[in-house]
Amino acid sequence: MKKLILSIFFLFILSKSVNALVEVDITRGNLDPLPIAVSPLYIEPGSKDIKRDNKVIKNIGEEISKVIEVNFKRSGLFNPLKKESFVQKPDIAHVKPRFEDWRLIKAQALVTGKVTVTDDKLRAEFRLWDVVAAKEMVALAFSTTPDNWRRVAHIISDKIYKRLTGEEGYFDTRIIYVSETGPKTQRLKKLAIMDQDGANIKYLTLGNELVLTPRFSPKNQLVTYLSYFRNLPRVYLLDIETGVQEVVGDFPGMTFAPRFSPDGKKIIMSFAKDGNSDIYTMNLDTRVVEKITEHSSIDTSPSYSPDGKYICFNSDRSGLQQIYVMRSDGSNVKRITFGKGLYGTPVWSPRGDLIAFTKVHKGKFYIGVMRPDGSGERLLTQNFYQEAPSWSPNGRVLIFYRETKSDSEGKGFSAKLWSIDLTGYNERLIETETDGSDPSWSSLLSK
Amino acid sequence: MTRSIFFSLVFHSLMIIFTALTLPFMKRAPIDVPPILSIDLIQITDTTSIPFAAKAAKTLEKIKKKEEERIVSEQAPPTEKKKEKPDRIPLPEDLNKEQKQLVKKKQNPKEVKDEIRQASEFEKKELFDPNQIAALIDKSKEETAETLKKTDKLTQSNVKTSFATGLTLSQEDALKAQIFGCWSLPLGLPYQENLLVRIKLRLRPDGTVLRSEILDHARMNMPGQGFYKVLAESALRAIRICQPLRVPPTSYEKWKDLQLNFDANEMLKG
Amino acid sequence: MILGTNFKKFLIVILAGVALSACATQKKSSGMLQSDVYTGSDTVEYLATGVKDRVFFATNKSTLTTASRDTLRKQAAWMRKKKNLTFSIEGHADERGTREYNLALGERRANAVKDYLMTYGISGSRLSVISYGKERPVNSGSNPLAWSQNRRSVTVKAK
Repeated sequence: MKKLILSIFFLFILSKSVNALVEVDITRGNLDPLPIAVSPLYIEPGSKDIKRDNKVIKNIGEEISKVIEVNFKRSGLFNPLKKESFVQKPDIAHVKPRFEDWRLIKAQALVTGKVTVTDDKLRAEFRLWDVVAAKEMVALAFSTTPDNWRRVAHIISDKIYKRLTGEEGYFDTRIIYVSETGPKTQRLKKLAIMDQDGANIKYLTLGNELVLTPRFSPKNQLVTYLSYFRNLPRVYLLDIETGVQEVVGDFPGMTFAPRFSPDGKKIIMSFAKDGNSDIYTMNLDTRVVEKITEHSSIDTSPSYSPDGKYICFNSDRSGLQQIYVMRSDGSNVKRITFGKGLYGTPVWSPRGDLIAFTKVHKGKFYIGVMRPDGSGERLLTQNFYQEAPSWSPNGRVLIFYRETKSDSEGKGFSAKLWSIDLTGYNERLIETETDGSDPSWSSLLSK
Repeated sequence: MTRSIFFSLVFHSLMIIFTALTLPFMKRAPIDVPPILSIDLIQITDTTSIPFAAKAAKTLEKIKKKEEERIVSEQAPPTEKKKEKPDRIPLPEDLNKEQKQLVKKKQNPKEVKDEIRQASEFEKKELFDPNQIAALIDKSKEETAETLKKTDKLTQSNVKTSFATGLTLSQEDALKAQIFGCWSLPLGLPYQENLLVRIKLRLRPDGTVLRSEILDHARMNMPGQGFYKVLAESALRAIRICQPLRVPPTSYEKWKDLQLNFDANEMLKG
Repeated sequence: MILGTNFKKFLIVILAGVALSACATQKKSSGMLQSDVYTGSDTVEYLATGVKDRVFFATNKSTLTTASRDTLRKQAAWMRKKKNLTFSIEGHADERGTREYNLALGERRANAVKDYLMTYGISGSRLSVISYGKERPVNSGSNPLAWSQNRRSVTVKAK
């Protein structure tokens, strides 16, 4: 009997071992950017060269791939491989890539494409390939006017970004900022707008009056900003297409710190009177003005949550600058920052999950993020002087500006735009022709 | 001017008094904070846990004594064989010899007997039935072939794995190290979410992948979980790049069904 | 026994205090900053003989010091004589703060000055207020002295 039991037991153990599923936990990998090969786009024979401002763009296929590469490189998530090592020519690669050739150079993803240019039309198609699995991942085509070729490159970048990360991209966007020149005591400031990769810089004002803190409307058609036109600091609206500027409302005092509501219908801003600054909104259609905060302290830097239901803002009602959240009708005001130091410039992420801010503590300036209830405070970067973060439309990258120290003559002073990922990695200087400050990111142009 | 001197004197002396009062407290010994020990949590699989080995040894002894016991498992007999005939340990040469014998004369009863003996003890009873010998010969041939193969594997492999499941700690480490090197973590993953993707593999003996299956397949197309697809694809890519996987040279049955649990949380949260 | 050790400590502390104060005297002797408020006369201009055109503030504050009130009383007295003149009161902040808050702070400082002048009989219609935040520093340096000179409210004759 004992033998039988034992034999059955033994049987059981051994039978289990024969059918066992082995589980292995893989908890580490390498955090290097994904190696991706961007092949120059094959140019359809018979295509015209693109002429722009006296300049002729000869190899549009290569130019488009260069723009895509720069986008990928700057995102910090991808590593575009050097073209010199590519074996396959663009025309063949687009139709039938030989994956072994691409695996040789350690590419894990491959981008190929074709572009056709006529006098009034540019047509581009691209394919994204998984080199390892040897199959196609995305295939799309676009058509537009030839001088929009950069936007095509940005839209292709966004589609690839989305397929490879699961997130919306942010490459087909613009940045508005204040261009600065001149001595520190008398800075000349102009509104400037550029593509997010620094191309196509345009100046929107002449510099005759001080301009500050420009922000895009959700549809990117309008810009709101502070102007000292006629030495009266007021919030203005500027139409990017027409260049027309108009003052917002008829306030008997300084209005400043303007932003748009998520539906683009209202401007929210601060109005300062008799030493007190409160937050107001104005409906752009009805021109109805509403007072949102009622307090003898300074209330400023308001920012809506993406669903329009809440507003975060900066107030010193507790004695020092802190961040507060309230309902969009001004009720239920709650303080959310309790850490050491001052908190300012709160801005709600387009994803709704975080609020970015500037923190000043012991003479150092920090850019950080926290949840809308104030928990999970994370400081991303520290500097002598930096402030005013603005979110990319996918809520993954922050753009802000930094100023350097200067001596008593003002030498050594510079103001520059910088960006950093939400993870705290990929801190990057954004090149601008002149010094720059107060940057603000548009939403995706193609939406 | 005099006022300021007066105030400065008052404040300075206050400062001095306060400092003098607090000096004794400053003499307290500093608190010794023990350094933080980092502990690596290592997954110890069932294969290396001791109880099985002990049980196996016990049962082996039992089998040795009672040879009528009918044990169906293909693995058991060869091992028992080994225990019973210590002089058989240098098996490769013997095996060749036996193989040759097999090929040469199947009809020779003596040789048949030998083969049968090697194959399985539990058939001993029937051995002496002369009528069955022919049938047994055919059967024994096949069985010998199988058992011989297994014996090969056994002699080359670690005895420890004989009754164990899957991989040993060192084998698992080798496989892990290999895949760590192949896995490119997608950098844009949201670090607060569940970043675990489990992939079930059926492997070939040479370590290449015959079939792969993503568990939690439903998550691939769930709204708001777009990153899961990206994570799963990166895991699949890692497996493909890493082929052939660093698998043990023997005991194929023990690891042919392999499940890899890719968890990006550790790397991204840090 | 205890007294002896205490006395020794006392001496050590006094010596340390003397050593420290040697360094501290630098600020004190030039008299530039008092409780974080600039008290010097560099960058100060005059509306009239003996009438300073500006007052200074501590970091993040808009309260008037005794010296500031003294200056403003002199301004008010002079303004009462020049009944045909109107003035613009400019509020400024140093660069060590966020831009938008500094605009509000400048406005608060300028209004503190305006309110005080009004208590000395100057009509509010003669005084307009404008804030420049940190946009128009008078000292381009990045040091505490420069910053203290920039935390100011300036009374300017309107054209």
